[in-house]
Amino acid sequence: MMLTKKLLPVLLAVSVIAAACGNDADASGSDTGTASITVYSGRSEELIKPLLDAFTAQTGIAVQVRFGDSAELALLVQTEGESSPADVFISQSPGALGLLAGEDRLRPLDPDLVSLVDPAFAASDGTWVGLTGRVRVIVYNSEMVDEADLPDSVLDLTDPKYAGKVGVAPTNGSFQDFVTAMRAEIGDEATLEWLEGMAANDSPNYQKNSPIVEAVGRGEIPMGLVNHYYNLRALEADPSVPSANYFLPADDLGSLVIVTGGAVLASSDAPREGEQLLEFLLSERAQETFAAQTQEYPLRPGVAPPPGLPPLEGYAADTIDYDLLGDGLTGTIELIRESGIEQ
Amino acid sequence: MNAGGPSPGAAASRHRPPTGLVIVALVVGVVFLGPFAYVAWRNIDLGTDVGSLIWSRSTWEPLSRSLRLAVTVSASTALVGTGLAWLTIRTDLPGRRIWRVLSPLPLVFPSFVGATALIAALAPGGLIEEIVAPIGIDSLPDMRGFRGAWFVLTLFTFPYVYLPVAARMGSLSPSLEESARLLGRSPWTVFRTVVMPQISGSIWAGTLLVFLYTISDFGAVTLLGYDTLTEQIYADKLFDQPRAMGLALILGGVALLVVVAERAADRRRQRIEVVRIRDPLTVPLGRWKWPALVFVGGFLGNALIGPVAVLGFWAWRGLTADVDSVGLGTDFGGLLWPTINSAQAGLLTAAVAIAVVLPVAWLTARYRSRVGGAANSMVVAGFALPGVVTALSLVFWAIDAPVLQRWYQTLPLLILAYVLHLGAQATRAAQVAVAAVPERLGDAAATLGARRVRRLFSVELPLMAPGLFAGAGLVMLSTMKELPATLLLAPIGFDTLATEIWGADDRGALAQSALASLVLVALSAVLTWLLVIRRLDHY
Repeated sequence: MMLTKKLLPVLLAVSVIAAACGNDADASGSDTGTASITVYSGRSEELIKPLLDAFTAQTGIAVQVRFGDSAELALLVQTEGESSPADVFISQSPGALGLLAGEDRLRPLDPDLVSLVDPAFAASDGTWVGLTGRVRVIVYNSEMVDEADLPDSVLDLTDPKYAGKVGVAPTNGSFQDFVTAMRAEIGDEATLEWLEGMAANDSPNYQKNSPIVEAVGRGEIPMGLVNHYYNLRALEADPSVPSANYFLPADDLGSLVIVTGGAVLASSDAPREGEQLLEFLLSERAQETFAAQTQEYPLRPGVAPPPGLPPLEGYAADTIDYDLLGDGLTGTIELIRESGIEQ
Repeated sequence: MNAGGPSPGAAASRHRPPTGLVIVALVVGVVFLGPFAYVAWRNIDLGTDVGSLIWSRSTWEPLSRSLRLAVTVSASTALVGTGLAWLTIRTDLPGRRIWRVLSPLPLVFPSFVGATALIAALAPGGLIEEIVAPIGIDSLPDMRGFRGAWFVLTLFTFPYVYLPVAARMGSLSPSLEESARLLGRSPWTVFRTVVMPQISGSIWAGTLLVFLYTISDFGAVTLLGYDTLTEQIYADKLFDQPRAMGLALILGGVALLVVVAERAADRRRQRIEVVRIRDPLTVPLGRWKWPALVFVGGFLGNALIGPVAVLGFWAWRGLTADVDSVGLGTDFGGLLWPTINSAQAGLLTAAVAIAVVLPVAWLTARYRSRVGGAANSMVVAGFALPGVVTALSLVFWAIDAPVLQRWYQTLPLLILAYVLHLGAQATRAAQVAVAAVPERLGDAAATLGARRVRRLFSVELPLMAPGLFAGAGLVMLSTMKELPATLLLAPIGFDTLATEIWGADDRGALAQSALASLVLVALSAVLTWLLVIRRLDHY
């Protein structure tokens, strides 16, 4: 009792002092650089920080980064409005960028910057530009499934022979993006029919891509719909796992390329520096780093894809044009819910 | 018991709360109204048709699932939390000092971590199946859906009941129980008729927190595939904001109803005020010693030791493996600052939460005050709003406000966000603590001429200490695992163990995520022992 009595004020005092020191350090840090930008990044720290440091070393522009979930950061920008401290938003999902573009929160980028990538991988109004690509694949357990038995089209997964076998993440952004693309391609009615078929098959639900990959690896389910790089990373952590990626034919709807992208906020007071950062992330050096580190597809033409992956050029570059969809992703979510695929 | 000077007498003060206290409670209530006002305003702004949303099947179904889960988890945690508290505090259970330290810790697992570990262990093809397959067991119970969510949430939320009940049990007077026993009552009868009335307030307090936590949980229910109202709010938060905000309003409304109902019931419950003069009795378990040990060990085995073992396995695999891919390896040294930051945020939030909530608790426990009751309800119900909603509400209120603007995305505002979201955990503990101080003691001290402040520090606070520290402990543990507000509102570069766990998990670095989780558990063990458990350790 006595010890705690003495200890508690000490602990609190240390906390307060640490807090004060922490704030001082932040303040002095932001004062040193001549130019400084703030980035909200949906991409994890370890996967982008070295590049940002290289950018600062090259340009002298200091970069402050807030890391978080892409969707939640988009909500943050939306709620902050004109007073947002952020200059640049880097998103893991095109949907989050599309939302902000729709609310006029993004500033149209320099056309030269946007033209660094194929027009399919950028917003048609130039409000955001793609940085890397992920391809939708079927991940399967090679001990449970013969690759020859896998379908030629994602549309075939509604066949009763796949009942209970295909893991999906209907509330996850990448699945929603995939369904949005499907609507643009085959229309709402056919999309709903496919979703209802998946629901009738009792496709097991997961929260997001990585739990599907883990479940396939354990043999809990034989296959699942995910983005290609989750399994590659899982195999790097533990090469003995019997999960493998199956790339659907390049022209199939199931082979959608989902881009991660970057944008400069309309409220930014350093838009030029922000564009410089995006340009740097599209430089050959940065694009090679993305390919090597996270096994994502570089979007800059001429930079080689990660070893062992089919070339991006073959894929129908049907990225989602959110402007064309009218009610946008709200409609997608309603379709997904209506279909009953969510369990 | 007026704010200053000797009180004129207990009878008068009981009906007229001191003005100063009422004003403080009013301010607290208005601040905690903030998140609700934000949700209401968003509904108006987005033109949500809340009326038709309430009556639609697509709302009722997830809502009824949320309530079904919350009620069952509340019931099981009330039983288990109370049982564990009694066994570890009041009996001669072998190893009880260690069980006391371990029991609160499952609370610190972010629910997605706990759920991930359990899935890895128990799911088909998981770690346990690999272990038990050679001895002929080839199917484990299905963890998905309602059963899995109920199991996981019971394992990781029972400390909401355990901590306040353990604190209360540690401060019970032995005299009533001794008398009852001398009169020949059986131990069970003594527990039911003498102990229960004294601890029921704490049990209800903890169970209410479990209920509110369960309806607001996102991590466990999504991973286990149980589609609740909060799960839908998260799924809709970006692209169907009118519905997400409408559902958040409904969730907040349900929480307020439950809180008000519990409060009404609480006021009707009998209270027994007894001051502890000697340490409470220790009940010999006799032949029940070993079954009790199996129960405690088995439950904590699932809630703490199992998950820690799974995390340890992942961390060990990562530390020993030669992973050259960027971001997949482990970085033990990189956890130093996140550990310091987590401890700092947890301690500061706990202290601020107690300071903010104590006046409200005093007002509600001692007087009949509408302002106190309303403020209390706001504080408690706030816990049921999903963390991201509370965080965004603070962004909304602070970003353009004259004074708050300067504090935007700094530590003080982050602490405010934590307190708004988690203050509920201190409120009911504080009320129980205030109720544990006999009014006549303060009156006696006043008669002897002790000033108000001195009475508070020399007489009342020491008596409230176990309850207050239990509440502070809950706030601290929850703060250290808090994620959405931390990601959105922390100063840039203020990494915590929770953000480290999430970041590693997000990039698929299981080993680093596990390592950070283990450090979080270790830090929590040290801090809860120092601040809470040591005080129970003298008996």
